[in-house]
Amino acid sequence: MAGVRTPASLHDVELAALAAAGDRPAFGELVRRHGSAVRGLLRRMGAEPSLADDIAQDAFLAAFERVSEFRGEGTFSAWVRKIAARLYVRRWRKESRFDVEAEDIEDGHGGEASAAARIDLDEAMKTLSPAERMCVSLCYGAGVSHAEAAEALNAPLGTVKSHVKRGLDKLRLRLAPPEGAHGEPAGREGHA
Amino acid sequence: MPELDFEMRLDRLFNEPPVMHDAEAFARLVEMRLDRGWNLRQVGIGVAGLVAGLVGVSQLLGSRMLFDAGEATQRNAVAFTSSVNGLVRTGENISALPFGGEALWLAAALGVMALAFAVTRAVEEFQ
Repeated sequence: MAGVRTPASLHDVELAALAAAGDRPAFGELVRRHGSAVRGLLRRMGAEPSLADDIAQDAFLAAFERVSEFRGEGTFSAWVRKIAARLYVRRWRKESRFDVEAEDIEDGHGGEASAAARIDLDEAMKTLSPAERMCVSLCYGAGVSHAEAAEALNAPLGTVKSHVKRGLDKLRLRLAPPEGAHGEPAGREGHA
Repeated sequence: MPELDFEMRLDRLFNEPPVMHDAEAFARLVEMRLDRGWNLRQVGIGVAGLVAGLVGVSQLLGSRMLFDAGEATQRNAVAFTSSVNGLVRTGENISALPFGGEALWLAAALGVMALAFAVTRAVEEFQ
């Protein structure tokens, strides 16, 4: 006897199709599955936890309105993360929190990796300047291309690329395995 | 390809959702906002329908439509009455003919009988 299929037993694409037909519990299951990923990304982008949660909620509400557009070509998580990232960027630009084209000031964390500790991604992201953090998160966390990030941030493509490159160099240094932490950054010979 | 390895690793790290202990509470909050939005939308649609209905009725009352419809009905009633009167007058005129109304009714009855006879003959012929 075939049992009743609960939302928890359905695939994301099936849940999205149900949500597109107005099934709110199905969408609730999607929120349950991917809420942490969206909130985590926003925090990595530099949002305070409460702001990240507010924007994540708005992103899910916006996703519910547009869920019929989700065709399952990518993952649902990536799709919502992109929506959330764009919402955060819009807010960030509106509030003019800082100028993405401004020269980055080296923060207090410095560039060198701690030899003893292996810092996780969240900690490593904190060592990046706000602009680097934003650009790296957009391109690696939200799956946005450099060109799309430049458009979203209203910044030149070259500026976004250089923020991403500098951010990656810092992350590489921070995320280097302990045995490589004493020497050069793993697998890369510095950068301009 | 250390560069590629690192980027793949970064992709993987970004795709690993952090563990959040209030994930369930967050989901409930979103569901609550969805429900609230849905209810508000329903109320909004209802209010919009009511307002549109009221505006429609007020426009209808404010326009000359009802007045015009009343006038048209009155004209039609007058036309109907005059048609009936015309028919009655025609009947009276027929009755006033020199050979009288009886002759007319007799002619009609004979016509009907002739038609019945013709039909009976036709049926007998084609059987």
